[in-house]
Amino acid sequence: MARVVFKNVEKEFVDGNKETFIAVKESNFTIEDKEFVVFVGPSGCGKTTSLRMIAGLEKQTRGDIMIGDRVVNKLHPKDRDIAMVFQDYALYPHMTIRENLSFGLKNLKQPKDVIAKKVKDASEVLGLDHLLDRKPKELSGGQRQRVAVGRAIVRDPQVFLFDEPLSNLDAKLRVQMRVELAELHKRLEATIVYVTHDQIEAMTLGQRIVVMNKGQIQQVASPTDLYQKPENMFVAGFIGSPPMNFIDVTYENGKVMMEGAQFVLPEHSVQALRAYEGKKLVLGIRPEHLFGEDITMGVPDTYSLTSTVQVVEQLGSENLVYFRVGERMITAKLHPDSDARVGQLKKFLLDMSKVHFFDVKTEKRTSI
Amino acid sequence: MVQKLRDHMWAYIFILVPVLLFLVFTLYPIISAFMMSFQRYHVLNPEWIGFDNYKTMFADSVFYKSLWNTFLFTVCTVPVNIAITFMLAYFIFQLRTKWQTFFKAVMYLPAVASGVTISLVWFAMFDPTKDGMINSFLGFFGMEPVMWLSQTSTALFSLMLMTYLGSHGAGIILYLAAMGGIPKSLYEAADIDHASGWAKFSKITWPLLKPTTLYLLVTGVIISFQVFISVYMMTQGGPDFATTTIAYLIYQTAFMFYEFGLASAQSFVLTAIIVVVSIIQFKMFSTDVEY
Ligand SMILES: Nc1ncnc2c1ncn2[C@@H]1O[C@H](COP(=O)(O)OP(=O)(O)O)[C@@H](O)[C@H]1O
Ligand SMILES: [Mg+2]
Repeated sequence: MARVVFKNVEKEFVDGNKETFIAVKESNFTIEDKEFVVFVGPSGCGKTTSLRMIAGLEKQTRGDIMIGDRVVNKLHPKDRDIAMVFQDYALYPHMTIRENLSFGLKNLKQPKDVIAKKVKDASEVLGLDHLLDRKPKELSGGQRQRVAVGRAIVRDPQVFLFDEPLSNLDAKLRVQMRVELAELHKRLEATIVYVTHDQIEAMTLGQRIVVMNKGQIQQVASPTDLYQKPENMFVAGFIGSPPMNFIDVTYENGKVMMEGAQFVLPEHSVQALRAYEGKKLVLGIRPEHLFGEDITMGVPDTYSLTSTVQVVEQLGSENLVYFRVGERMITAKLHPDSDARVGQLKKFLLDMSKVHFFDVKTEKRTSI
Repeated sequence: MVQKLRDHMWAYIFILVPVLLFLVFTLYPIISAFMMSFQRYHVLNPEWIGFDNYKTMFADSVFYKSLWNTFLFTVCTVPVNIAITFMLAYFIFQLRTKWQTFFKAVMYLPAVASGVTISLVWFAMFDPTKDGMINSFLGFFGMEPVMWLSQTSTALFSLMLMTYLGSHGAGIILYLAAMGGIPKSLYEAADIDHASGWAKFSKITWPLLKPTTLYLLVTGVIISFQVFISVYMMTQGGPDFATTTIAYLIYQTAFMFYEFGLASAQSFVLTAIIVVVSIIQFKMFSTDVEY
């Protein structure tokens, strides 16, 4: 049983001018045994710091951290039964791959034949067996990354910690390693905490995702829930690519009004927005839920926006079409056969069942 | 061809300056010294005498004595000094940046002072009366005053002591830079890998500092083989040739006995020894230092 629990954990750093900087605020979550949880958020939001606090490489300023059934607040990293894959891999440059893999086991004074077997098993799983006598500098980026993972595997820890392990690889290798890591998780049956700034990596790997921003946890949910029910504008804008569009609207009398259009809302939406009578709101709609007039996919054309096409990006599988509503630039992900041309006055249809409304001040999603 | 020359004209002009300097001030003296080692040197009519200078040199017992002194001096100072330098650097590295800078400056200070000034300080230290600095210190423990520089048993050791307590600043700065260059994440990985403090030192820090250590070893040996100023200032090679090093012998031969030919021959032997020893060190220690 290796759950990882944060209870009101906070981390403050004091800089050279004695100013405190809060890197992680009121962090609360429970990572279940054998779960693959991904921490995602923009650079500097406190992901690495959170991970390092689990590892014991950074001591939390406040709060409790539990691994398994133990409170590990005061435990040294080696006593936490964790293994970490560092962003820069942190392979020992002067040791061979074999020595890199066995260093931890040697320090634990395990018998030679046991070490040899574990190194052999791990290197076979990761396809490193023919590289064991090389030095890290004689390996490609992808191979080094595997060695870093191998060094974690041989230790057979309760919890694996990964800090942006794929960020130094090229795009193609990254996709391949992503699949391998997912398979590895199934095989290892271990708890994995994985940090990345890449939302696609998070969505594909995580069973649950912790979205962070500015040191604060924004939402903890499954990939589908994050996509379908983002709790606030930050999560809505961070998850999904291209990001969700936001349009400033005013709600009045069962209708939302925006520059150039107004919609009568369906009955259930009207109920939910009652408190916003006469007030401003932000309407959120994902690019894939906007359609060109030519291909309506059964969307009634009551809900439509008309605007001049500014830019068209042809990606082959789809066309990204950009247009303005008020100040905001809006993106629509249209079928590649759509006839959108720059300068054209075009009608875009909204799938109203996929629309979200956010409070202007709190940026929280209203529940509809 | 001409076009090509013109394209690169400025490059050649820039290179010309150091090349000329090298030719005039390095290569020419070396060649002329080499020629001189086969001559009985007189300013007006040098006399060609073949290998006579070399024969004289190898028949001279003081020459062998000076080789031995130089060897002993090198073996007893270079490794010890590297150890001292390393320990000081390791200690300073643990401090905060502010204190690191302070100690770096303090440790480097002796390198700025001239060898002559430092020798004067050491004269006061080695004062043979019971009021000498070192002797009065030893007096606390009831020990008799020692005539540091004027007896054969302690003279060479006294010169060694000067290097132990001498300038480690340059080496410290090199070590500190190298220590700072080792990624912190290696130590964190080692922490997670159950490495003890000793394991982190012996399996990570020390091996990764090997290039720096090798550099200090090779340059240290080269400098040590040419030890001169302290001999010249403190003991003039005495007593009874106990501190005559090969560099001092060369100086004596040339500028006290005016045997420039013989001095050149001695210089060439010294050069040859330094080259051979340096090559051996690289061969012995340089396996896989780069990383
Ligand atoms: N050792 C430290 N000292 C001071 N500030 C730090 C330290 N480590 C991280 N920070 C700050 O904490 C914030 C979060 O950092 P980090 O957790 O590394 O972010 P990321 O989400 O990109 O991994 C950043 O603003 C960073 O500058
Ligand atoms: Mg990070």
